[in-house]
Amino acid sequence: MTDTAQPVHPSVDARGVAMSFNQGTAEQVDALVDVDLRIESGAFVSLIGPSGCGKSTLLRLIANLIEPTAGQVMVNGKDAAQARLDQDYGMAFQQSGLFDWRTVTKNIELPLELKGWGKAERSARAAEMLELVKLADRGNHMPWQLSGGQQQRIAIARALAAHPPLLLMDEPFGALDEMTREHMQSELLDICAAANTTVVFVTHSIPEAVYLSTQVVVMSAGPGRITDVIDVDLGRTRDEDTREDDGFYKKVTEVREALRGGDHERSTHRSEDR
Amino acid sequence: MTESRSRRLGDALIAPVCFGVGILAAWEAVVRVTGLKPFVLPAPTAIWTAFTDRFSDVVDKSMVTGANALIGLVLGAVFGIAMSFVIVRFRLLEELVTPLAVALNAVPIVVIVPVLNNMLFGTTSQVPRRLMVTLIVFFVVLVNVSKGLRQVSPTQLELMRSYAASPWEVMKKVRVPNSIGYLVTALRIAAPLAVITAFVSEYFGGPQDGLANAVTNSLNGSKDVTWAYVIGASTLGLIFYLASIGVERVNDATRGPRQAT
Repeated sequence: MTDTAQPVHPSVDARGVAMSFNQGTAEQVDALVDVDLRIESGAFVSLIGPSGCGKSTLLRLIANLIEPTAGQVMVNGKDAAQARLDQDYGMAFQQSGLFDWRTVTKNIELPLELKGWGKAERSARAAEMLELVKLADRGNHMPWQLSGGQQQRIAIARALAAHPPLLLMDEPFGALDEMTREHMQSELLDICAAANTTVVFVTHSIPEAVYLSTQVVVMSAGPGRITDVIDVDLGRTRDEDTREDDGFYKKVTEVREALRGGDHERSTHRSEDR
Repeated sequence: MTESRSRRLGDALIAPVCFGVGILAAWEAVVRVTGLKPFVLPAPTAIWTAFTDRFSDVVDKSMVTGANALIGLVLGAVFGIAMSFVIVRFRLLEELVTPLAVALNAVPIVVIVPVLNNMLFGTTSQVPRRLMVTLIVFFVVLVNVSKGLRQVSPTQLELMRSYAASPWEVMKKVRVPNSIGYLVTALRIAAPLAVITAFVSEYFGGPQDGLANAVTNSLNGSKDVTWAYVIGASTLGLIFYLASIGVERVNDATRGPRQAT
C-alpha cells in the first residue's frame, strides 16, 4: 500500500496549539499552552512529563479525539480531523480496550471492518498481524483468556492492522510488570521497524522513553507545555545490551535533569504565586 | 476435567439432599406418631399421592400460570429493550423515566390488579395478570439494559472515534454487545419475579384456572390437595429460575467470568 511511498509531509505538525478545558468559566484548566511540535516520518517520539503536563491531551489532539482551543494540528499533511476520518493512524491505550465479546481475531479485524475491507482480506490480515505479535495460535481465544501482556500485544496488532503510517500510544505498557514491559518494548521496536511506522508514545518512565525513542519530548505541568526536546542518538537497532550502554545512561540522566529543570521552574513559579 | 467437575457437583449435592430427605422423613414421622389430621398437616406420602392423582390437573393449572408469567416476561423484555434504546437516544426522557422506574420498582404494584380487573378487562380475562408481569419485568429490563447501553468503557469509545465510526456503528458494534450481559442479569432477576407476580396476581380475583387459585380454592378440603398444587408452584418457579441461570451460564461461557453485576 503506502508503505514504500516517500512522504513529503512531517507525520505530525502542531503549531501554536493550546487546549483549555471549561474555557471561560471559573474552573478553566489550561492543559496545554503554546505547543509547537514537528515529528518527522519514521521517528519514534516519546512524550514524557509529570502528571498534569498534558502529554495525554497532546496525544488526543494529534488523534483528533478532542479539538484544540487554539492553533492547528496537521497529521500527514492533512488537518487532524481529516486524518482521523481517513484512519491515518492507529491507537493503543494503557487499557487494551479489547472487546470482550469478540475473539482475538475479530478484535484485530474491527478497524478493518469499519474501513470496509472484505471478509477474506480481513482474516488474512488478522492472521498476518497475529504472526507479527507472536500470538498466531491465539486467534480463536477470547480476550479474557489472555495475560495482560498478550492483551496489549493484540491491542497493538489491532492498531497496526490497517497499515497506518502513524501509531499513537498512551502508556500502553503502564499496567504491565517490569519484565514483561521490557520484553514488550523490544517487540514494539521490531514490529514498528517491520511495519515502517512513525510512533508517538506517551510514558512516564524515563528508561522506557530513552530506550524506545529517537526523540524525547520533555513536558512540564501548570500549565502543560513542552520544555525540552532531546535527541536520542543510540542508533535504530536497539537490544538488551542497549539498556546497559553508557550512552543509554547518559541519555537517561539528561532526560531526568530536563524533567527536574521543568519541575524546578514550576516550583519557583508556584512560590511566586504565593 | 468433566469427571472432576461432576464429582464436585456430587459433593456439593450430598449435604442438601440428605438434609431435604431428613426433613421429609421427620415430617412423615411427626404426622404418623402424633396422628395429626390431614386438614391440619398432611404427611409427605399423602401429599405425593394427591399430587400423582391429580397430576394432569396440576399441569393444566401450571400451564395457565406459567403462560401468564412467560408472556409477561417476553413482553416486558421486548418493551424494556425497546424503551432502553429510546431513552439512551433522548437524554431528557431518561431523566424523566429512570427515577420513575426506580420508584415504581419499590412499590408493590401488583395491588392494582383488582383495579384493572374491575375497570378495564372484566373478571374473565388473563390480561390484567399478564400486564402486571409485563410491567414488573419491563422496569427491571429497562433499568439494566439502558445502563448496559450507556456504560461503555471510555477507551473503547475513544477507539471507535479513532476509527471514524458513525454513531450507528458505535451502537451496533459496542453499545448493543456491551448491553447483552446486562440483559442477561435483568432476565435472571426478572424470571423468578415474573412467576411470583403471576401467582400473586391470581389472589386478586379474575378467572379461577391458575395454580394460586387452585391453592386458595382447595383450602376448604383436605390439605394434601393444597400441597399438591404447592408442589406444582414450586416446580414452576424452579423451571423459570433454572432457565434464567442456564442463559447466564451460556453467556458467561463465551464472555468469561463476569467482573461485577
